[in-house]
Amino acid sequence: MLPLLTIIVFLPLVGAAVTALLPKERTDLPRLVALVVSLVDLALVLWLAARFDVAAGLQFIERARWIPEANIQYFLGVDGISLPLLFLSALLLPIAILASWKVTERPSFYFTMILLLAVGMNGVFVALDFVLFYVFWELVLVPMYFLIAVWGGPRREYAAIKFFLYTLFGSVFMLVGILALYLHPAGGTFDMTVLAASTGLPASFQWWVFAAFFLGFAVKVPVFPFHTWLPDAHVEAPTAGSVLLAGILLKMGTYGFVRVSLPMLPDAAESWAWFVALLGVISILYGAAVAFAQTDLKKLVAYSSVSHMGFVMLGIAAGTPEGLNGAVAIMFAHGVITGMLFLLVGMVYERTHTRTIADVSGLSKQAPVAAGMLAFASFASLGLPGLAGFVGEFLSLVGAWRSELVAPGFVVAAAIGVLLAAAYMLWMVQRTVLGTPSSAVEGITDLNRLEIGILVPLVVITVVMGVYWSSILRYVDPAVTALLATMGAV
Amino acid sequence: MLSGYWHFVPEALVVAGALAVLFGEFLPGRDKGAAYIAAALAGAAALLVAVGGTGGPMVFGQVEPDSVARFARTGVAGLTAVWALWVAGRGMSDERRRDAVALALFAAAGGMLLCMARDLIVMYIALELSTMPAYILMGYRRRDVSGLEGALKYFLLSMLTSIVMLYGLSFLYGISGSTAFAELSIEGAGVLGLVAVLLTLVGLLAKMSAAPFHYWAPDAYAGAAPASVAFVSTVPKIAGITVIARLLSAIAPDMPTLVTLVAVASVASMLLGNLAALPQSDLRRLMAYSGVAHTGYLLMALAPGTDTGYAAAVFYAVAYALPSMAVMLVAAEEGTEITDLAQLAARRPWLAWSVVIWLLSLIGIPPLAGFFGKLYLFGAAVDSSLWLLVVLGILTSVVSAGYYFRVVREMFFGEPVGVSGEGIASPAATVALVALVAGTVVIGLGASPLLRGLGALLG
Repeated sequence: MLPLLTIIVFLPLVGAAVTALLPKERTDLPRLVALVVSLVDLALVLWLAARFDVAAGLQFIERARWIPEANIQYFLGVDGISLPLLFLSALLLPIAILASWKVTERPSFYFTMILLLAVGMNGVFVALDFVLFYVFWELVLVPMYFLIAVWGGPRREYAAIKFFLYTLFGSVFMLVGILALYLHPAGGTFDMTVLAASTGLPASFQWWVFAAFFLGFAVKVPVFPFHTWLPDAHVEAPTAGSVLLAGILLKMGTYGFVRVSLPMLPDAAESWAWFVALLGVISILYGAAVAFAQTDLKKLVAYSSVSHMGFVMLGIAAGTPEGLNGAVAIMFAHGVITGMLFLLVGMVYERTHTRTIADVSGLSKQAPVAAGMLAFASFASLGLPGLAGFVGEFLSLVGAWRSELVAPGFVVAAAIGVLLAAAYMLWMVQRTVLGTPSSAVEGITDLNRLEIGILVPLVVITVVMGVYWSSILRYVDPAVTALLATMGAV
Repeated sequence: MLSGYWHFVPEALVVAGALAVLFGEFLPGRDKGAAYIAAALAGAAALLVAVGGTGGPMVFGQVEPDSVARFARTGVAGLTAVWALWVAGRGMSDERRRDAVALALFAAAGGMLLCMARDLIVMYIALELSTMPAYILMGYRRRDVSGLEGALKYFLLSMLTSIVMLYGLSFLYGISGSTAFAELSIEGAGVLGLVAVLLTLVGLLAKMSAAPFHYWAPDAYAGAAPASVAFVSTVPKIAGITVIARLLSAIAPDMPTLVTLVAVASVASMLLGNLAALPQSDLRRLMAYSGVAHTGYLLMALAPGTDTGYAAAVFYAVAYALPSMAVMLVAAEEGTEITDLAQLAARRPWLAWSVVIWLLSLIGIPPLAGFFGKLYLFGAAVDSSLWLLVVLGILTSVVSAGYYFRVVREMFFGEPVGVSGEGIASPAATVALVALVAGTVVIGLGASPLLRGLGALLG
């Protein structure tokens, strides 16, 4: 059988090699190569999704010996939780590439980094051997470092190294967690499916291994108080970097909780649940409160990400079917919606050369399409029913409410976060979209066809998912049920 | 007893190469040609060790070419060959190449022998054979006063530690009545046993530039030619850690406090090396302190006193030596200040990306050699519940990323200061560097056959 997942994961690597080797004078070729590679990759993922059997659990499995002396395998597969994220990764890649169409500074370097990043992003969601998982996990660090440090804003070097060191700090603790599981008599393998299915790890052991993994995942998500790298990285990163950072890299953290912490350490997940929920709720409220105070559009979107990822954490802490379905749904929806927001902020910035909210007003008179898109994305982000953002947040709140592990007070507090999100988003829309055009907005052109073309697929997905929930939940729900069954709770 | 002497053929090849180069004034190609011949012979020796089998105790039990020794000897000979190739192509600070190469080969022969040593006398002689040539290499630039000063410092301190160690060895011999590792026993020797072990260990740790006996390294390295540092700071460490592992596995079971001593040295080295490396602006000093730090990681693997730990340490020694040698060779080509590497990415993009790969490997980013090295040694420490060491190892790894990335930053975003880089195109040196890149990637991705050679790791 065709090793479909291997092709999906490593096709961007081939593309990266090609773009790196292209002659320097041909500045228009790298983006073309990158785009073709990313579209082929997307087509392959769609083909895989079409052949995906929602009832069959883990599928498209590829397994080979890699380092048998240490029981390390090359082991890939997808289930209903990883498929939406793999799709998201494949979807945002061509969009990020198109959004970078005008990159003229060292284009072959740039697109090589983007494609290299894609290898890590795709790989993390399909790897089922811990060492392989860790390889992909760390693989995203270097390209993202360069994307920020070379093509970023004025404080790019600081932001890039901060991103690198923070996430490295977390992931090395994760490595110790991986080793601890491997070396424990009841673990004894790097095979993530075996570890997920096994029981019998003592609760005290689970407790601190959970803590080690928590550090690794929480920095990536990021959860308050590990979030301080995120605003810097987002503000300095180029638009495509922000889209992929918010869209995919943050999800690696929450995916880790769902794929590793819950099934492998169920007892610890239960005893840590209040803490995870607490940090989730603090992230929701803190992110929203800080977003209120922002004068910079991009920073506002960045802090709103902290807030939204808090809902994911809440759903995960709940450990109920609704909560987990909601968590995965937010992961997907946030990737699409925040991607849209960062793209729009980038497009507005290109025209007005400012991201200060106070300097941008009256967009609707000068650039009605951009204004409409921005308003739409903001509505989606604040969780308007009928759009994608609502699905997950609703489910995760319901899930948390019905969970015995999360105190009702947390749910109430999180619900206040929803209100805050509506408030800061609408306030932002009011200030930028409405009113009379400011001097920066005066005379700007509206979105061109390419830009609209980039945004339309995201708009369509946002609407479809918001109206027709089972478009995503039909994949996620069976996998969540299977996951909860292995945890011994239903 | 006297069978199996073919196990010494690789060492013989290396010594023959050294002698040929040293006395072969009329070898084809003169100076350069001789260096190529030496590189070829060392390479052949490495290949021979790698494909050759392993054996049991030989020569009255004084040496044992087992699987760990095979791995370490391959690393020593292979890296020496790569280094000689680079020197042949690029030259050695305007001095004659062939003497430097001959010295390196002698040192390599000593190192290879050291990897197999199972006897205190063999160990001491092999250790001296592997360090003596290093004194000359460190002062190889005859007209450079600071280099000579560094070499002299290195010589005096190294001799001092050798003598301290010899003193300790004499006690060990006195207590056990034998110089064979297998018969060493300090059980019931009380304070005397502790003194014997302490003196021996201090000598060995100082040679490995482990804190708190590391103080000679930064000064000595900073004065020396970077190409010399590339060899002296890396290859002897492989042999050194191999023999320390051997010695510890012989005496550690008698003495649990030994483990504590090694752990203390590990903590001190990790902290001191990584923190002191942060503010350095000279690449040689930076790599000297990073070398101290990596010795700390090596000792972390030795601290549990388990076979998996010993194997992990030997693996990590090679995984450390490859990129570390490579970075110093780049310093030899481009300049020793970090700022000399400014805009390397624009001038020599392939080289700059190679440096990125080496530095990432030193940090321990997968799937490079350094990652698998750290995987195994953290594994050994976790297995023995040495949590303090593990957590410190993690934190200092992150710190190390801070100073390694200063180099990356300089290569990609630095402002060039003045003219740097000699700009000599040398295919041989390029081949050597490509070999080091390939090694750094392949040891990681294709670790399987290597590990089989090392015995089952983490089994």
